Amino acid sequence: MGTLVGVLPGLGPAAALSLLLPTIYHVPPISAIIMLFGICYGTAYGGSTTSILVNIPGEVSSVVTCFDGYQMARQGRAGPALGIAAFGSFIAGTFGVVGLMLFAPTLASFALRFGPPEYFSLAVMSLTLVTYIGKGSILQGLMMACLGLVMSTAGRDSFTAQTRFTFGLTSLMSGFELAFVAMGLFGMSEILINLGQSFKRETLDTKVKNLLPNRQDWKDSAKPIARGTLLGFFLGILPGVGVAITTFISYAIEKKFSKHPEKFGTGVIEGVAGPESANNAAYAGTFVPMLSLGIPTNISTSIILGALMILGLQPGPLLISSKPDLFWGVVASMYAGNVMLVVLNLPLIGLWVQILKAPYSILYVLIVMFCQIGAYSVNNSVTDVLLMNIFGVFGYLMKRYEFEGAPLILALVLGPMFENSLRRSLIISDGSPAVFFTRPISAVFLIVALVFLLSPLFTRERIGRKAIDMKEDD
Amino acid sequence: MVRQAHHPELVEGQQRGIISNGVKSFQYLMPKVKSGFFFFGLSLVILWESLRLGLGTSVEPGPGFLSFCAGLILSVLSLALVYTGWGVRKSQQTLSHRVILAVLSLFVYSLVLDTLGFIISTFFFVGILFHLGEPRRWWSLLGMSALVTLLGYFIFGILLKVYFPKGFLGF
Repeated sequence: MGTLVGVLPGLGPAAALSLLLPTIYHVPPISAIIMLFGICYGTAYGGSTTSILVNIPGEVSSVVTCFDGYQMARQGRAGPALGIAAFGSFIAGTFGVVGLMLFAPTLASFALRFGPPEYFSLAVMSLTLVTYIGKGSILQGLMMACLGLVMSTAGRDSFTAQTRFTFGLTSLMSGFELAFVAMGLFGMSEILINLGQSFKRETLDTKVKNLLPNRQDWKDSAKPIARGTLLGFFLGILPGVGVAITTFISYAIEKKFSKHPEKFGTGVIEGVAGPESANNAAYAGTFVPMLSLGIPTNISTSIILGALMILGLQPGPLLISSKPDLFWGVVASMYAGNVMLVVLNLPLIGLWVQILKAPYSILYVLIVMFCQIGAYSVNNSVTDVLLMNIFGVFGYLMKRYEFEGAPLILALVLGPMFENSLRRSLIISDGSPAVFFTRPISAVFLIVALVFLLSPLFTRERIGRKAIDMKEDD
Repeated sequence: MVRQAHHPELVEGQQRGIISNGVKSFQYLMPKVKSGFFFFGLSLVILWESLRLGLGTSVEPGPGFLSFCAGLILSVLSLALVYTGWGVRKSQQTLSHRVILAVLSLFVYSLVLDTLGFIISTFFFVGILFHLGEPRRWWSLLGMSALVTLLGYFIFGILLKVYFPKGFLGF
């Protein structure tokens, strides 16, 4: 079910979890929680399927997979892309479960040392990655990041409860729903772009060979999988970082480590292996603070936390000791779940690949319909559908004018944490910004951010100039 | 760097005299300038709203603080984009009629979904999309639209129990 949810664009884990909440009354508590957990990490794999096959991220955590995964599919290498996503997810997921089992108490206590300045600096560091993630102009990438930050402030201010940028719309009271923005910017806009071109260049003449990764693919992917696993798990533990951010960071790191960074975005397998491993490991990481501290790290864990409370289980440091059968039952299920993901989904790669051969003139209609229904299903509101379509048109115009959507999405995700930690830090320090530099962990994050921000001036500028020159010569 | 795009539409525009007397067809002007001015205007709106919300103090930033900072940076970057894009001309593909019709369909669908209900509005909506994708015979169009609509209703409405609007006809 998790994979199916992940494959269907427009229906994310949060929406699926919300829809399935009523079922937990009818099954034993441990079974219910295991089912909800399964949906979470199942969608991590399923989301990559649509990212690779049709360039529509099934989930926000699969946005980055679109960059290279879809390009690999267009080159007839959809099978290896899906395969490495599956194996990378399995390896990372297994490691994540081991990490959850062994390090939950220790890692959770370290995360407690993070205060608002550290979270703010971490957000700044993450946002500076937009300069690396954006394929095009750094200037335009930063503009999108600023716009994303503004959009993240929409809704009710958590400090004063004042409504901001709602324009009188009830739908915007809780801010811009990430699902609508992502579906619109990445899904609907892609449909509109393709509508403006001929359909015939796509899938019909694509011949897919070698459904599994070859030796060279494994050789290229080994280190990205390892890096993505470690990065995803340890970052996933940090409350507020979230799964999606780890994929962006993983992608940026792989690009930085690569001997051919200019090839990222053209269909390199490292661009799939790293982020896909990161997101599966991150899911396991997000469960650490939730199970050991009772602190949710994203929407999905928030819903699961709510489910625990509905079932009469008090999340927090005492949960593991008072309900060991729950904790170990979840751990055991995650082991089994990861195996099932590979066992069930690898044979189905051929099925997913066959989807590529379906006429795009039919496929796109299904995708649009799923997106519309998915948007509606979150709050049963047509305003949400309208908002998604507005973002679809905006995303289309963005592509026409060469603006990247990824920095906007990243800023939208990070915005609440960014703002809350900034305001809290200034309150704590009586308005002094020195607090971000006097705390060691915060200072390290800011230094790293500075390195990322300045390095394009010395290195990427040459690559960027080459790419821009090539574009203008077309 | 100033470049002129050699594009047949641009040549055609020149032949038609669209580019004359300093009044240029907007489509063939500098795209970065257009987008830069758009975002500059947007940033002014953001700044205005942020000031209305209140910036607070350095000790206690107000609800408009972050959006003001982000809006300010956006305005500066927009002007920088205008500056860097000035004089760089690029031809842009004209808006396809399929795209325009698809966008109109999307918005009309959003607006009539509650009134007509899911089944009727989706039936016509997917019918239009199928027709835009590839012209088909009317019976094929009707059949595919009905099939897709019912499939969507079955998966989401029945299996996943999504509540769909019923419209004034009751379904």
